Amino acid sequence: MESLQLLLDGFAAALTVENLLYALVGVTLGTLVGVLPGIGPAMTVALLLPITFTVPPASAFIMFAGIYYGGMYGGSTTSILLNTPGESSSMITALEGNKMARRGRAAQALATAAIGSFVAGTIATALLVVAAPAVVAFAISFGPEDYFALAILAFTAVSSVLSRSIVRGLAALGLGLTIGLVGIDQQTGQARLTLGIPQLLDGIDVVIVAVGLFALGEALYVASRLRHATPEVVPVGRAWMGRRDWRRSWRPWLRGTALGFPFGALPGGGAEIPTFLSYAAEKRLAKGVAKEEYGKGAIEGVAGPEAANNASAAGTLVPLLTLGLPTSATAAILLAAFQQYGLQPGPQLFDHNPALVWSMIASLFIGNTMLLVLNLPLAPAWARVLRIPRPYLYAGIVLFAALGVYALNGTIVDLFVLFLLGLLGFAMRRFGLPVAPAVIGMILGPMAEIQLRRALAIGAGDVTVLVRSPVAAVLLALSVLALLTPLFRKLLTRRANVTRVG
Amino acid sequence: MARWWRPELGLAVVVLGLGVFVIAGTLDVSAAASQLGIGPRFFPMLVGGAMVVVGLFYVIDVLRGGHGDPEESEDVDADAPADWRSVGLVSGIFLAFAALLNVLGWIIGASLLFFGLSVALGAEHKVRAAVVAVVMGIATYLLFVKGLGVSLPGGPLQGVI
Repeated sequence: MESLQLLLDGFAAALTVENLLYALVGVTLGTLVGVLPGIGPAMTVALLLPITFTVPPASAFIMFAGIYYGGMYGGSTTSILLNTPGESSSMITALEGNKMARRGRAAQALATAAIGSFVAGTIATALLVVAAPAVVAFAISFGPEDYFALAILAFTAVSSVLSRSIVRGLAALGLGLTIGLVGIDQQTGQARLTLGIPQLLDGIDVVIVAVGLFALGEALYVASRLRHATPEVVPVGRAWMGRRDWRRSWRPWLRGTALGFPFGALPGGGAEIPTFLSYAAEKRLAKGVAKEEYGKGAIEGVAGPEAANNASAAGTLVPLLTLGLPTSATAAILLAAFQQYGLQPGPQLFDHNPALVWSMIASLFIGNTMLLVLNLPLAPAWARVLRIPRPYLYAGIVLFAALGVYALNGTIVDLFVLFLLGLLGFAMRRFGLPVAPAVIGMILGPMAEIQLRRALAIGAGDVTVLVRSPVAAVLLALSVLALLTPLFRKLLTRRANVTRVG
Repeated sequence: MARWWRPELGLAVVVLGLGVFVIAGTLDVSAAASQLGIGPRFFPMLVGGAMVVVGLFYVIDVLRGGHGDPEESEDVDADAPADWRSVGLVSGIFLAFAALLNVLGWIIGASLLFFGLSVALGAEHKVRAAVVAVVMGIATYLLFVKGLGVSLPGGPLQGVI
């Protein structure tokens, strides 16, 4: 129970007035960007990277963790109160949640989402406490070939799962990897793909890429097809729920947590699949009133997916902290934040910086509690945020994007690079290329290269060294399977069609 | 315009072209390879090669009629035709802001950026938009420069605020 002691130390560090304030700022900002359409936690953390450079790392990560969890809470408010399809991870919540709201049960929908998120977040963070040391113990013997294989698995899984078309997922990944190549090669000092522009020698900053792809790309995309009708927000009072709602909610919460945590930890798992699975499971298990209500606003269909959503966020932190492996865009930005402080997540991080890791994990419990307090009584306030006129909202997003990028180096060259990346983000949205593989490719690509070169150096040029360890061989085999998923999908649909016809 | 041309083909060709660019650009890198392992050219070649293959598949997919699903988002009307005038206006305003930032300073530049964008995106009440824009410009300057120590260009208002 060494980790319990470390966790208690973590609580002691996180419970200082200063760090509590950082946690509060984090969860408030996180909820705000989660509620607001057009921006999410990944972009917010990226924008804050240059500003937090002067803050001690523990405080910065306490704030970032709050933003990550807060974004998950805020997303549910939007999908329940606003009748438009939102981000994919909260789209499932909208199915039943918005129908509940329209039937006058908005308060109960918001309450089960918030309490379910709290329950799932707390259980999943506890699972993180248990799982992380186990993964660290396993990964401590990993060699460079294993880390290279892990990166390849993350690349292929993210590209094949997030897009209906694997070619488009891989194209997005390739764009990210290419951006990551620009600059001086760390091992030999050779300039690569810089076109002779001196500003590119240091590479393209992750902040510019993230802000360009997410913020400016989204603003341009919204400009191209803005919904001109004013959004219809369902009015709501304080979020609360009665005993019957509690009775109907607690099982879906637990089932959602059980689905969300493992999927969040898997490369390419993300939040979309477990929320959908949870929705489908609750639909199948529904009996009596619930069965009648399903499709017209059943509380189970909000409770389960919202719990799954938050549990997956905690699950994402397992591979990120123990292996340095990001499985979502936000996790990739968090990885970049670690690198900014000269820290490399992985087994060594738990060894060398236990205080930092455990105060961050402790702050997740604290932040989760703050979020519950912030979201239950303040639901009407967050609903008001949804009424911000869209022209002001997107003008503000672009303003902050420009501010964050200019503040990096104080040069307008970065603003023009930002615009080019914004155009790329616009094109990717318009043509259905997922953005997450690009962000993960850009951040994980250079690390994959280092591990590959190390592995080949150890093997003295013998390529078979890459599959000599059983772990690496299994991971690479899984990567091949991930690439073949569209083939399986095609076969399955064909067989389904055949059986239907026959 | 030819019948086979679709805008998505442009993006597919960019992917393919970037692959070629990565390979060509990497050939320039002098490979003073060390005795052990591989030099700075191996991984970029791998990425470039993969990009060319993916780009080819992408081009073929688009030519055969494949298309991605435009991303859904809260404020996006997926059925509406693309409004290129707004995209052009937003782009123009942003580029003008970037070019003039050092001359105008943050407060004036950012206020004009906010006002221009909100009007371009359909803000009806122009006076209100202007007031919000000026408040945003001054508030961000005070918060980030005076509060957080970020350096932003002062422009002609340097010393006034």
